[in-house]
Amino acid sequence: MNRFALAGNPNCGKTTLFNSLTGSTAHVGNWPGVTVDKRDGVYKRLPEQVAIVDLPGIYSLSPYTPEEVIARNYILDEKPDCVINIVDATNLERNLYLTTQIMEIDVPMVVALNMMDAVEKVGDKIDEKELEKRLGVPVVKISALKETGLKELMEKAYKVSKTPREGITVLGDTDVAHLIGDVKIALKGQNVENPLFHAIKLVENDEIEVGMHKETLPMIEEFKKTFKNDTFGADFEALVADARYKYISKNFAPVIQRKNKEKVKMTASDKADKVLTHKIWGIPIFLVVLFLIFHLTFSENFFYLNGFNDSQAWMPSLAENEAFLEKDENGNIVYKKDDDGNYILDYYIDDEGKYVTTRPEEDGDWEQGENGYWGQKIPVYTYGARWLATIYDGTLYSPGVVINNIWNDMIVGDLFGLVKTGVENIGMADWATGLINDGILEGLAAVLSFLPPILVLFMFFSILEDSGYMARIAFILDRMFRKFGLSGRAFLPMIMGFGCSVPAMINTRTLADEKERTATVRVIPFFSCGAKLPILTAVAGALVMGTGMSADVITYSMYLLGIITAIVSVLLMRSTSLKGETPPFIMELPSYHMPQFKNLMAHLWDKTKHFVKKAFTIILASTIVIWVLTHFDFAWRLLGDEEINNSILASVSKLVQPLFTPLGFGSQLGEYGWVFVLAAVSGLIAKENVIASFGTLGACLLAAAGTEGSSLAGVASDLAMCNVSAEAGIGAVKAMIIATNITPAALIAFIAFNMTTIPCFAAVATAKAELQNNNRYKWTLLFWIATSYVVATLVYTIGSWWWTAFVWAVVAAAVVTVIVMINKGMFKKKS
Amino acid sequence: MGVPEIILIAVCALIVIGVAAASVIRKKQGKSSCDCGGDCSRCRGCAYSRNEKKK
Repeated sequence: MNRFALAGNPNCGKTTLFNSLTGSTAHVGNWPGVTVDKRDGVYKRLPEQVAIVDLPGIYSLSPYTPEEVIARNYILDEKPDCVINIVDATNLERNLYLTTQIMEIDVPMVVALNMMDAVEKVGDKIDEKELEKRLGVPVVKISALKETGLKELMEKAYKVSKTPREGITVLGDTDVAHLIGDVKIALKGQNVENPLFHAIKLVENDEIEVGMHKETLPMIEEFKKTFKNDTFGADFEALVADARYKYISKNFAPVIQRKNKEKVKMTASDKADKVLTHKIWGIPIFLVVLFLIFHLTFSENFFYLNGFNDSQAWMPSLAENEAFLEKDENGNIVYKKDDDGNYILDYYIDDEGKYVTTRPEEDGDWEQGENGYWGQKIPVYTYGARWLATIYDGTLYSPGVVINNIWNDMIVGDLFGLVKTGVENIGMADWATGLINDGILEGLAAVLSFLPPILVLFMFFSILEDSGYMARIAFILDRMFRKFGLSGRAFLPMIMGFGCSVPAMINTRTLADEKERTATVRVIPFFSCGAKLPILTAVAGALVMGTGMSADVITYSMYLLGIITAIVSVLLMRSTSLKGETPPFIMELPSYHMPQFKNLMAHLWDKTKHFVKKAFTIILASTIVIWVLTHFDFAWRLLGDEEINNSILASVSKLVQPLFTPLGFGSQLGEYGWVFVLAAVSGLIAKENVIASFGTLGACLLAAAGTEGSSLAGVASDLAMCNVSAEAGIGAVKAMIIATNITPAALIAFIAFNMTTIPCFAAVATAKAELQNNNRYKWTLLFWIATSYVVATLVYTIGSWWWTAFVWAVVAAAVVTVIVMINKGMFKKKS
Repeated sequence: MGVPEIILIAVCALIVIGVAAASVIRKKQGKSSCDCGGDCSRCRGCAYSRNEKKK
């Protein structure tokens, strides 16, 4: 059967054409060795059936990406009967660059001028006969979208496939034309097929060609010795590329007759890009956009309409927040109590020494409540008022928080409360009720409560990606991070890491350079995925209550910390073990467009289904296992709530607890400090498990505190105020704070550790598959452990003792100095 | 131990063993280990799995 190959730039309409030609016969698979889609099908409307292969979209036949290597090798080695080169007629000059390269191969070819409907719509005309004459190959006008011209195209391709064709070049008038001719003759003498194409590639110093035809290298080197070019020097690749574009511009541009002969006006996308990809303002704008996303998702003070909280500061001292916190005799920060030993929360002392809920802007109606405290009466006891409270309760909440409040306060809270009451009414044994209510339901509620912020954040990132802005980010960052050894192409999978590390790691297959790819796989987990969001929001929420810091600021800072960690890590890796040249980066910037609502909703629905499925499978199983292992000892004796410290999990966690002392959540946390260690380790199965563990363990601590003789009895009333169930996640973290006296700095270090440590098992398995080198994989695991340890220690020490920042700065300077000295060979022995 | 407790133990055991077994079986069947968090449209692993199913 004849075989025709479709070749062209990305987004030129190749796949649309392929689908039109092959219909239901299309088959999608993979090119061997890479996960690049391979599409093939059959065209049946010619005298004989023809197989159609859709090659990957490429800009040139240079071997920088797997797609380019695949397309090139297919044309050269598989020798299709005809190559149909699809050219986007609305971008003729750029698309013809690839055409000039395919023309150099000894293969029959036809140029298909696609998107002619778009060209004719604006009133432009293309003289395809003139273009055909100038190119020397047949040209057919088509519109793959409207399915016009397809029959003529296939008939033309079928006709030319019967006649062999010799390659021709547009480089005949260049300074290297003579050299190309000589190399071609030499290759012909060795019976090399496609000698013209190989000759030109050799002159360009193409790495594949150089490896295959080393015998021609002396000839080229000899030529270079006497060659002089003021612009390009001896960079023949750049010289040849320049020559192609000049030829295209001079010879093919005249075939286009534009209706509007004025200079092509800037499109709306171009105008937006002038600002959004500005070399100075581009990155600050991106940081502002990112902050806006977090603000709209997490802020409880929408656009700061209620002013800025006076107590907000970077790493504030808890003791200065007099509202409801104080230091005990040991210097630990504890929740404040009134004279009667009652727990105080959400109150502060006004000028008259009274406890009030909010500072009145004007003299309003204040009442002394049943507990003796003054406060404003808030109508929260009716169902309608409860709905109002989800939007405004002292401050106006951001949309993300409103959705979160509705979901948690009105749906999850009520539903799970009903189920728990039902379980209690069954009258099962205490352990059985504990397993269901404290283990399963608390764990599930903790995870499900974070569905809204995950979806809202995912929605914003989807909008950024679908609108075309994410592609701009890669372009802006390429300029900056090229100096650090990464191209913008590497940032596309990294940005995907904000959703999930697994597809992000899979997408690193687009990176041709193995070292760049390894570095990218290693830092992808630092771009916190959706599963880590519950950890961040639960701990941040508890911190907000304790310090007055803003939730959106904390979450934004943690995401930034991950990005900064990634940048520093890449810089270190590319300066040491993964040194190498940064490959060039070419990318087509799609026009900005409004994301389709239908597609967005479909993405969100997919995400919701997957999240709920994961909650009721892996998370559910994990909560059962965690509850069992925290309620049985090694002799498989069922333990009471007050004996949780003797459980299997507690014993194992206590063994490793000292390792986390430099991070702030180790031995210094006392008897129940192991809960943080356990939560972090459970995150290896799935990061959502961290919060599920919080839920289960928080309930266990609450139950333990209520038992006579428990060491937590002293803080039982404080724990009871945590409302572990209603605030699922945040309440549980608060309970763990009270039980362990963990400091805010250590809490933030805990977040930082979870943001940067070994990701979930699925991501680890993917990293192993993608790296394909056992050594590199092992070093990657070590890298993740070491980085998370260092980052968390850094955060804890600086947060606890500000002066340690200078110590870390000195250490960092020493490390950088040593690396620079090694790179300059200063430690090498002089021979 | 009453009937509700026995049922509870059985259900919990079934869940834990079922989830673990399903993971092992999927791995042995060579199904995509992609855990893309539901962002299937952007996940090459999911795209490949979907196309394999269509075959």
